[in-house]
Amino acid sequence: MDFTFDEEHRLAAQSLRELLNDHCQGNDLRRAADARDLSSFEAACATRRARLAELGLTGALVPAEQGGLGLSVVDFVLLAEEAGCAALPEPLVDVEGVAHPLFSALVLAAPSERAESGLQETLAGSALVLSAAPGTTALANAAFAQYLLLGRSDDELALYLASDISLTHRDSVDPLRRLSEIALIDAKPIAKVTGAAAASAWQAARARSAVLNAAQLLGLGSRMLEIAVAYSLERKQFGKAIGSNQAVKHSLTDVMVKLEFARPVVYAAAATLAPVRVAHAAVAAADAADRAARAAIQVHGAMGYSWEVNLQFYAKRAWALAGLNGGRSAQFSAVHQSLLRGELGAQWT
Amino acid sequence: MAIDLQYTPKQHALRAAARAWLEANVPREPLPSYDTAQGFEAHRRWEAKLHSGRWSMVTWPQEYGGRGLDLIEWLIFEEEYYRVDAPGRVNQNGVFLFGPTLMEYGTAEQKSRFLPRLASGADIWAQVWSEPQAGSDLAALRTTAIRDGDDYVINGHKIWSTRAVYADWGFGLFRTDGASERHRGLSYVVVPLRTPGVTVRGIPQLDGESGFAEIFFENARVPVANRIGDEGQGWSIAMATAGFERGLMLRSPARFQRTAQRLIELYRRAEQQAASIDPGVAATVTQCWMDAEAYALSTYMTASRLIAGGTIGAEASLNKIFWSELDLSMHRAALAILGARAELRGLGGGEGGALAKIADEATRWMDGFLFSLAGPIYAGANEIQRNIIAERVLGMPKG
Repeated sequence: MDFTFDEEHRLAAQSLRELLNDHCQGNDLRRAADARDLSSFEAACATRRARLAELGLTGALVPAEQGGLGLSVVDFVLLAEEAGCAALPEPLVDVEGVAHPLFSALVLAAPSERAESGLQETLAGSALVLSAAPGTTALANAAFAQYLLLGRSDDELALYLASDISLTHRDSVDPLRRLSEIALIDAKPIAKVTGAAAASAWQAARARSAVLNAAQLLGLGSRMLEIAVAYSLERKQFGKAIGSNQAVKHSLTDVMVKLEFARPVVYAAAATLAPVRVAHAAVAAADAADRAARAAIQVHGAMGYSWEVNLQFYAKRAWALAGLNGGRSAQFSAVHQSLLRGELGAQWT
Repeated sequence: MAIDLQYTPKQHALRAAARAWLEANVPREPLPSYDTAQGFEAHRRWEAKLHSGRWSMVTWPQEYGGRGLDLIEWLIFEEEYYRVDAPGRVNQNGVFLFGPTLMEYGTAEQKSRFLPRLASGADIWAQVWSEPQAGSDLAALRTTAIRDGDDYVINGHKIWSTRAVYADWGFGLFRTDGASERHRGLSYVVVPLRTPGVTVRGIPQLDGESGFAEIFFENARVPVANRIGDEGQGWSIAMATAGFERGLMLRSPARFQRTAQRLIELYRRAEQQAASIDPGVAATVTQCWMDAEAYALSTYMTASRLIAGGTIGAEASLNKIFWSELDLSMHRAALAILGARAELRGLGGGEGGALAKIADEATRWMDGFLFSLAGPIYAGANEIQRNIIAERVLGMPKG
């Protein structure tokens, strides 16, 4: 039993943090959010994309035999937290945490030259792969992908060329999430897995996505708390910083309580991927980030309700992520159902 | 090696040893309340029993009768302890607050004088800090211990001392410099509670029992040798004690995991009997299980960090806020499920038909609820804990 991260985990997270400090501040997000079309959006993100590619995280969760780094979800969880902390618009978590390992599973289950070469392309960074689990409403960043992993149901995991798929742009409340509605009509996959192998691949993908989104929510919540504290020190009313009032202090402390008791759950879920832990992590992180968003907006007063405050990017990302993977409601229900079945006691009994 | 949440063979072995000993030795019937004369002595005997198996102070060094367990091993022991609903620790404050303080600040003579008797339950200890005008603002305390030859002469009024009604000793904070103010001029002195000039008066709590007391000092004399640490060093020693208290060891996660498990059992029984349960209560039960798990995982994470050489600071206040609110929430949910049965008072033992059994269960939940109301108050009110977090962790300005 050792519930600590290794030095290398911390160093990797720190290098991502430094990169994002330089290239993913509130004003960088605003430039991208203000982009009028896809190409100006891409232009606003170009430097950061290039720097991220240099970080060497490509194929992080893909086994070394297939050309990846062979890491596990727990090795990636602090990175996902950093991505959340910066409200990173790029799909680092969706690609490296979810799509790439899914791609690898497909290649292992149904080896084919075409799929193999696609994986090598995406691992080399010359193409982008994303995945949408069956039932996905709309997929963020699909417009930037060359390969898509999709399925009509959990019994089917299929690799498509993005150019063969009909994608319809949909606006998100989060101006940095460029969504696409996906239509699978008549598209022909270039590789396919069916049956139990597909179902277990999707199940694993969903768990990774839920855990790593929970980690992003932790990061988002921590960032909003930091922004709110800074504003409470800077904003003066009645001749003193509003942060010297107990009502403000206690509200922000409650955010910290939520975050700090979601954190170990998310880390344990990443380490075990046990279904109840994963569902718990999703609920706890969504609740903590939501509490952070509401408290931070409240602390900002009327500014908090205005478009010009960058806080909105973090809050909106949090609300968007909290709805994914079935959403907070389905995850809570999953925990509750385990409880009804008598599966939940203390872990040590 | 990344995070590893599996127990080692050594940890499994410890669990098995603790389980075997506890199952063989835990009283079959719950002991009477330790806030009665008879119950107090029964609990003192339980402390002696634990000591005989070397299970009373598992984290203490072997030389003082402990097992020198690390924090993760302590968590495992506590899990086993709560698994069998073993009796409450009447010497809790001695074991977890005074003992560690003495080991850090006491002289060799003081350690050999107090620790073995503490470990065996021969002496039960109470904390003697708060005063009528010094609660959350502890530094406002006014009870003096003025030096007179080889003695301190103590005068003043202490209050809210848990277990002090029947305890043998108190560890307290006194003003040894009568002219001093606030944090200066305080010393940490231990006082026998059955000594001339000391009057202990029990204060009945919400459950009707005198779990705490007020203590009047009228020219009570204690030897200077009863001072722990230097004269005037009392505040920093006391704050170290408060660190242990708020930190990890006051309330182990197993306690709340056990309550959560009982709550789930209560809920499932009600559900199977097709009782109509408020969906809000059903959601609360689920939330409580999650929060009890979160507290356990958080504690394992902190324990791992401390074992690896880390430290714990003001963020410890987060724990106290979290578990005290969780405890309240669990008991409120249980009372909601019990409905009209919740108010019944049982006599213990379940004799007298079906209703008596229900009354016993209801009493356990109701007493737990009443006690959970104290959680956000004792060991530093949660409002104070929130100020500590805001000011020392988040860096917000003092009001």
